Amino acid sequence: MHGEYKMLGGKLVVVDLEVRDGRLADVRLSGDFFLEPDSALRTINAALEDQPAQATETELANAVRDALPLDVMMYGLSPEAIAVAVHRALHGEAEA
Amino acid sequence: MMRTDWRDHDWRLIHTIPQSPSLHMALDDVLTHEVGAGRRKPTLRIWEWAAPAVVIGRFQSLRNEVDADAAERYGIEVVRRVSGGGAMFIEPGNTITYSIYAPQSLIKGLSFQEAYAFFDEWVLQALGELGIKAWYQPLNDITSEGGKIAGAAQVHRGGAVLHHVTMAYDIDAAKMLDVLRIGREKLSDKGTVSAAKRVDPLRSQTGLPREAVIERMVATFRRLHGLSDDAVRPDEQARAEELALGKFSSATWLADVA
Repeated sequence: MHGEYKMLGGKLVVVDLEVRDGRLADVRLSGDFFLEPDSALRTINAALEDQPAQATETELANAVRDALPLDVMMYGLSPEAIAVAVHRALHGEAEA
Repeated sequence: MMRTDWRDHDWRLIHTIPQSPSLHMALDDVLTHEVGAGRRKPTLRIWEWAAPAVVIGRFQSLRNEVDADAAERYGIEVVRRVSGGGAMFIEPGNTITYSIYAPQSLIKGLSFQEAYAFFDEWVLQALGELGIKAWYQPLNDITSEGGKIAGAAQVHRGGAVLHHVTMAYDIDAAKMLDVLRIGREKLSDKGTVSAAKRVDPLRSQTGLPREAVIERMVATFRRLHGLSDDAVRPDEQARAEELALGKFSSATWLADVA
C-alpha cells in the first residue's frame, strides 16, 4: 500500500506499507524531505511498525514524535505529515 | 560559538576537470568532513561532470524515483547523495552544480529557511548581474520569472555544513521525464516541466555559454566574500576515490531506501 502527501510549504512524504493482523508492517518512509541525522529514518519506520491500522492520525504522529530524539532536525517534514501519508496509504484516499 | 560572517573566513575555490558521479558524491562527503575538522579552509567547489547521472536524495526511494531500464538504456549512472532533497538529472553541460563547505558558525542562530537563502545570496546577486531577476523560494529553490532555476540541499556534519545546489542550464526535459518518475503530487508545483521540451532557464535568460555563467558566478563570489584558487589535496583525493569505489558505488547505499 502506498500513500503520498505534500504539506503546504513542505516536501513530498511517501509511505509504503503492508497490513498484517490489523497492524502496520514493512513501513517504509521516503521522499525529498530533509532529516538529520539520517539514521532517524529507521527510527521513524520502526516507530510506525506494529501500530494498529485503525490508529488515528494524531496517534500515529505522536508515535513518531515520541520515538525521535530531541536533536532530530526535520525540514519539509513533520510527524503530522508522516501520519497523513500513512493514513492515505491505509485508506487509499485521493489527493486532498 | 559566535556567529561569523563570510569575510571572517579565507574562502577557497576548487574547480577541476570533470569527475565521475560517484566521485562527486564522495568529494562532498570528504570535503565537508575536512572543513568540520578544521583541516580545510571553507571552500566553494564547482562541479564538472564526466558522465550523465541521476542523483537521488538521501531519503528518496530508488524504485519510486528512477526508471532503471530507461537509465540503463541511456547509459545513465544512478547515485545517491548524502543530503536530502529531490532527484537531479545530469548530462555534462546541462546544469551548473556547486558545493559550499562552511563552518556552522556562518549560519548560527538562523532558521533552516534563513540558512538556505543565506548561502545563495551571492548567486542571486550574480544572476542579477547576468540580467536575471531571481529570488529564493522556500524551502530550497531559486526561481525566476522564467521558472525554477535551481534546487539546494544542506547537510550538517560535525562543525561543518554542506550546502550544494544544482542549477538548470539546458536540460532535455523529455529524456529527464523518461528516466525520473515524477509523481502526481510532485508535478503539482512543476506543471510546466511536462509541457516543455527543454528546461533551460539559464541558457535562455542569459544567452551565454555555460562557462561564461560560471565565470560570472565565481567573480561575484570573489568580489563579495573573497576567494583564492585551491585544489583537492592528495590525501583528500585518495579518501574520496576510496569512498567513490566503495560506499558510493555500492548497491547497499544506492538501495538504502529501496
